[in-house]
Amino acid sequence: MSSPKRSDEPIWWALFSAGGVCFAVFLPGLILALGLLWPLGLLNSAWLQHDKILTLLQSGYGVTGLAFAAAVICLPLFHAAHRIHHGLHDLKFGFSQASKLLCYGLALLLSLLALVLVVAV
Amino acid sequence: MSEYQLLLQRYDPEHDNEPRQQRFTVQGEHTTSVLDALLYVQQQLDPTLGLRWSCRMAICGSCGIMVNGIPKLGCKTFLRDYHAEILIEPLAHFAVEKDLIVDMTQFLAHLSAVKPYLINDYSGTQPHKQTPAQLAKYQQFSNCINCGLCYSACPQFGLNPEFLGPAAITLAQRYNLDSRDNGKAARMPQLNAKNGAWGCTFVGFCSDVCPKQLDPAAAVNQAKVESAKDFIISMFKP
Repeated sequence: MSSPKRSDEPIWWALFSAGGVCFAVFLPGLILALGLLWPLGLLNSAWLQHDKILTLLQSGYGVTGLAFAAAVICLPLFHAAHRIHHGLHDLKFGFSQASKLLCYGLALLLSLLALVLVVAV
Repeated sequence: MSEYQLLLQRYDPEHDNEPRQQRFTVQGEHTTSVLDALLYVQQQLDPTLGLRWSCRMAICGSCGIMVNGIPKLGCKTFLRDYHAEILIEPLAHFAVEKDLIVDMTQFLAHLSAVKPYLINDYSGTQPHKQTPAQLAKYQQFSNCINCGLCYSACPQFGLNPEFLGPAAITLAQRYNLDSRDNGKAARMPQLNAKNGAWGCTFVGFCSDVCPKQLDPAAAVNQAKVESAKDFIISMFKP
């Protein structure tokens, strides 16, 4: 029996796993800080001044900003894309290649946009 | 003694156009298993009822059925845990041959596809030595009785019968983890494929229904890690 073709799924699964960790670890903290504590006025708003944030994100030759965007935007996007792609399969949507292209393509596009915006500001 | 209503799915390809349900009344006490009840039906009420069974003690793996929609071994499921009416159907996701008997051909083909035997070039007469720690790595996965309940539980196998499935991937892991085996390279191509470990979406119901509690979902996800490692290594090979 000839060997079946190797799946490219390890790439998407690795991004999905990394995104899952970021979703579980970083996003709850971010939502708590920026979504709840800040609007409620419980955070010292001096920390959240534009120039302070900018200095923080541009520290380490801008790597901090890129890493932040990757952890809270890019990897979670790939995590969500993976779930949607497999969810569509479960719902018998069919068009597996199209849904793959659409889901991961969109995640890639939005990720690049996020990273470009971080570099541009 | 309590009275139970068994609602059995019947199908005889020689007479029926489609499956139908038939009701039987049985008496059960504390130790009456669903298999006991089915054998009572076959021996006392309707000898045409078709079902597979052998050991009556959860080791042969042949009496798999759906009890109220959940894959179970008939011999390891007891009437006392149910009330009044019990729906009994053949294992889901398999083709029905007659009544509660399903066609396991594809399942067996998946099992043999992963080369479930020791592969090595040892030809001596001395027994293999293995430490308890080496045994512990695969022992849990070696308890599979090939009953097929995990395939009935697996929605991915239901959607795609070419998916290797929980038992086959667990069996591949069982041999890949065995210190006496050198056959991992021969098994990985099956696991690396779309229908190998990557056909799984980690629903985990296979581990819930496994009558031997050997956690096939864990084996499948270990296989995913192995396959991902194999993927990275393959990028550096010519």
